[in-house]
Amino acid sequence: MVDKEEIMKIAILSKLFVAEDEIEQLTEDMAKIISFADTINNASEEGTEFDNINNLSNVLREDEVVPSYEREKILANAKDSDEGCFLVKNIMR
Amino acid sequence: MKYELVAGFETHVELATNTKIFCSCTTQFGGEPNTHCCPICIGLPGTLPKLNKRVVEFAIRAGLATNCEIAEISKMDRKNYCYPDLPKAYQISQYDKPLCEHGYIELSNGRKIRILRIHIEEDAGKLVHSRGSTMVDYNRGGVPLIEIVSEPDIRSAEEAREYVEKLQPIMRYIGVSDCKMQEGSMRCDVNISVRPAGSEKLGTRTEIKNMNSITFITKAMEYEFGRQVDLIESGEQVVQETLRYDDATNTTSSMRGKEDANDYRYFRDPDLVTISVPRSKVEEIAASLPELPAQKLARYTEELGLPEKDAQLLIKYRKVAEYFERAMEGTKNPKTAANFIIGQIFRTVENEAEKEAFDIRVSAESLNELIRLIDSGKIRMNIAKSTLDKMLETGQKPSELLSDSDMAGLSAEALKELCQQAVAANPKAAADYRSGKEKAIKALVGFVMKNSRGQADAALAEQTLSAMIMEN
Amino acid sequence: MSESVISKLHTMLSSKQLSCQELTETYLSAAGRDNAALNAYVTLTPEAALASAAAVDKKIAAGESIGLLEGIPMTLKDNISTENIRTTCCSKILEDYVPIYDATVWKILKAQNAVLLGKTNMDEFAMGSSCETSYFGGAKNPHNINHVAGGSSGGVASAVGGRIAAYGLGSDTGGSIRQPAAFCGIVGLKPTYGAVSRYGLIAYASSFDQIGPITATVEDAAIVYDAISAYDAMDSTSQGRKGAPVCDSLKKDIRGMKIGIADEYLDGVREDVRKAVEQAAEVYRSLGAEIVRFRLPALQYALPVYYILACAEASSNLGRYDGIRYGYKADNYTDVNDMIKKTRSSGFGDEVKKRILLGTYVLSSGYYDAYYKKAQNLRGTIVKAFRKAFESCDVILAPTVPMTAFENGKAASDPIETYLTDICTVPVNICGLPAVSVPCGFGNDGLPIGMQLIGGSFCESTILNAAWQYEQAADQYRPAGFGVTL
Repeated sequence: MVDKEEIMKIAILSKLFVAEDEIEQLTEDMAKIISFADTINNASEEGTEFDNINNLSNVLREDEVVPSYEREKILANAKDSDEGCFLVKNIMR
Repeated sequence: MKYELVAGFETHVELATNTKIFCSCTTQFGGEPNTHCCPICIGLPGTLPKLNKRVVEFAIRAGLATNCEIAEISKMDRKNYCYPDLPKAYQISQYDKPLCEHGYIELSNGRKIRILRIHIEEDAGKLVHSRGSTMVDYNRGGVPLIEIVSEPDIRSAEEAREYVEKLQPIMRYIGVSDCKMQEGSMRCDVNISVRPAGSEKLGTRTEIKNMNSITFITKAMEYEFGRQVDLIESGEQVVQETLRYDDATNTTSSMRGKEDANDYRYFRDPDLVTISVPRSKVEEIAASLPELPAQKLARYTEELGLPEKDAQLLIKYRKVAEYFERAMEGTKNPKTAANFIIGQIFRTVENEAEKEAFDIRVSAESLNELIRLIDSGKIRMNIAKSTLDKMLETGQKPSELLSDSDMAGLSAEALKELCQQAVAANPKAAADYRSGKEKAIKALVGFVMKNSRGQADAALAEQTLSAMIMEN
Repeated sequence: MSESVISKLHTMLSSKQLSCQELTETYLSAAGRDNAALNAYVTLTPEAALASAAAVDKKIAAGESIGLLEGIPMTLKDNISTENIRTTCCSKILEDYVPIYDATVWKILKAQNAVLLGKTNMDEFAMGSSCETSYFGGAKNPHNINHVAGGSSGGVASAVGGRIAAYGLGSDTGGSIRQPAAFCGIVGLKPTYGAVSRYGLIAYASSFDQIGPITATVEDAAIVYDAISAYDAMDSTSQGRKGAPVCDSLKKDIRGMKIGIADEYLDGVREDVRKAVEQAAEVYRSLGAEIVRFRLPALQYALPVYYILACAEASSNLGRYDGIRYGYKADNYTDVNDMIKKTRSSGFGDEVKKRILLGTYVLSSGYYDAYYKKAQNLRGTIVKAFRKAFESCDVILAPTVPMTAFENGKAASDPIETYLTDICTVPVNICGLPAVSVPCGFGNDGLPIGMQLIGGSFCESTILNAAWQYEQAADQYRPAGFGVTL
């Protein structure tokens, strides 16, 4: 059964904070969801080796340059940018 | 107690393709920040990767050149970790089905450094920390890499140096990378552990990340070896961790300190399809490979009779080797061409980068022409040398620099006449020689050489003089 | 009689009964009026719509002929990227994101002068079955606004069902086209995986996602499908339509067609829904089709397999929302890592966070084999079971959803109960198969019931042919009391 500690570990990997007041409910929900996921382990069979959904191979691109986008467009959606770079100000309070 | 170093390499080599691995942006080095970018390589929502055909071909070339087996079926996986230089929060790489496996590089001491695998993946962008902020440039993001993973078969910093120095020319020969460590197109992570000499058990290892100079690699390895031995001898434990090498202080330090233990959660990338490599394709690529450095070395020493040291210098850069082969073609002794290149020509090529490019003013054909003139006796070696100096300066051909008289050589008649003049001018030397002072003839030869302006053959002159004096 | 809306509008335009500008204005004003009740649109794009309309009118005035989709007012689900038009996935994290490129489907339709009225509501990142996880609040059911439009493409279904768009494109990862289409009493086609390009579709679960039409009638779905099912070099998994346009064979006789019914699809289905589906089988029998009954025991694993795999892919696909390149960025932080976590924690809604956590969990070391790998193998088992089923039938008939549209706010609070409502739709996505949902009557609550016809890979022509024949024979489409009356 999944516990709080495990949820916190997964949250860190997922880059999510879990607030103190959320953790109980979240752990409960996650426990339900995970035990639901667990039902696949009732399957007696191991299943069939499954590779991928499209069964295609070697969909490849020629090595030919296409002009890149204007930098203005590349940066257009960034909240902060400076000197042509995406910017994360290190400390902002 | 004596300790043994055990090291393995993970070498990242940037491939010399025109475009990135999953989009058609240029891979050109440099450029203003974020000007080699498109929605795909900055990971805009909804974009999809499309694999560059040449990346697969280059990886197979690299695999074949390092004695690897090429997988028939391969695929791309996602390596999930979140960092600002990684725009999708996953790197598209290969996990359990790399394109190449089970190869090796042979060192000069006969030891084989086994290669576990070679896989293809995308490079990350560049972070610059400035004025307390983090700036991100994605120009490098999505540039194709191969990662060459060795087994922990390296036993000394010297072997490590040789391993890297062998890998570089191989990758350059087969045209997959320029392996410029200073530009970051070749980077090494080194896993290091120590164990008592003779022990079979591996010790706890540390990993020194991202080194881009052979000197740093050997220094870092020596430092880390010493550090681990000190720890063990003082009864402490080596901690498995990732280290960074600081060349200013020549020490390693831990890169950890983040809350996140890595768990990459690899899984197959559903946006990309299976890579299948028909055997005919492998054969086709194998057939297209040039002669590799190791094969060239064997041929130069065994067939051409070059000293190993000279052969090593010639094979290190593919362009030099090719130049040598064209210059020596049809000449009597390959050593002549080799000596010209290693001597006079290399003196004009200042650094490794210039050797790599080997863009010199004298064409191989011109050098070949010069050597043929020597072979046919039309010019003497000293004339050839001074001519080559002029060629290196002006880029002119021998035929443009040598006068008819230079090339006419010295007729037997003219030589005889000069010899007579020499004897007449130095009766004492002639008499000394006749009376058994062999060295006395040197003065006479010198006279002939001087008065023929170098055109005479010293050995022939000595022969002629000797006969002349003894006859009288 | 169910009559193609697109064909009808096309005739009106090309016979100059009304101009494209008039048509567009009619739809825009209806949308402006009815959106207050339906909450179908999250962004209206009147300028762009009228600009396209003007181009069409110019062509008509010049005596040029126009294509079937030219000048037809339509909508796109808000996870389909549109250059210069904000595309939010109905998430706070993308609230002000404006793409710099067009999704391939929109490129295709734009080139045909489609008139985009606006972008429509959806569950956040397409995660949900009610449209209520939308950052902008849920879209309402045009048949009864106290009920949800369904999800995740609830906005498209609400707009098309409420006749404030002639048709729309949605996306279907586990039923997100078919379920809201069924709830809103209209048609929704989930094409074969690879038939329609995913380039520009903001990913939820890449190996399940597929774009498809939501329309008033089967013929409309066929027309739109033919237009968008093109091979796309930008999508490595793209194959395009295989074979002739589906419109060519839409109205074929279906005598002798084998229609399969798997008992497992009817287990636990609400009585009125089950009855409606069984009556549909009778209609097929009367049309000369043969009903084949069989069992599909592999279906019992479909739901957990779907949730494990889709969430695993989602956890990776949604890692990129870090506030650096686009979208919401937290403004109070101590370092880069803190900024990323704060951005994601307040930018994503609860359902999205839960699915990211589940996906991370099933991929993490120690759990990968028991969940991800096992689910992947069972996916193989389900694929095989369907392949075998299609040896004995041409199409499979099943309910689209085991019930009718939920009341607003009543989508079960228990996460598993909510997931269970996807039981009939997810198997198709697991196998990459095509399926179309068609209205097949009304429940005891007066709300529409949908049934789905499932086909083999790239057999869109077969299922649409069967759907059209049923639609014409059963005539179950009823317009809701909103929108444009023509």
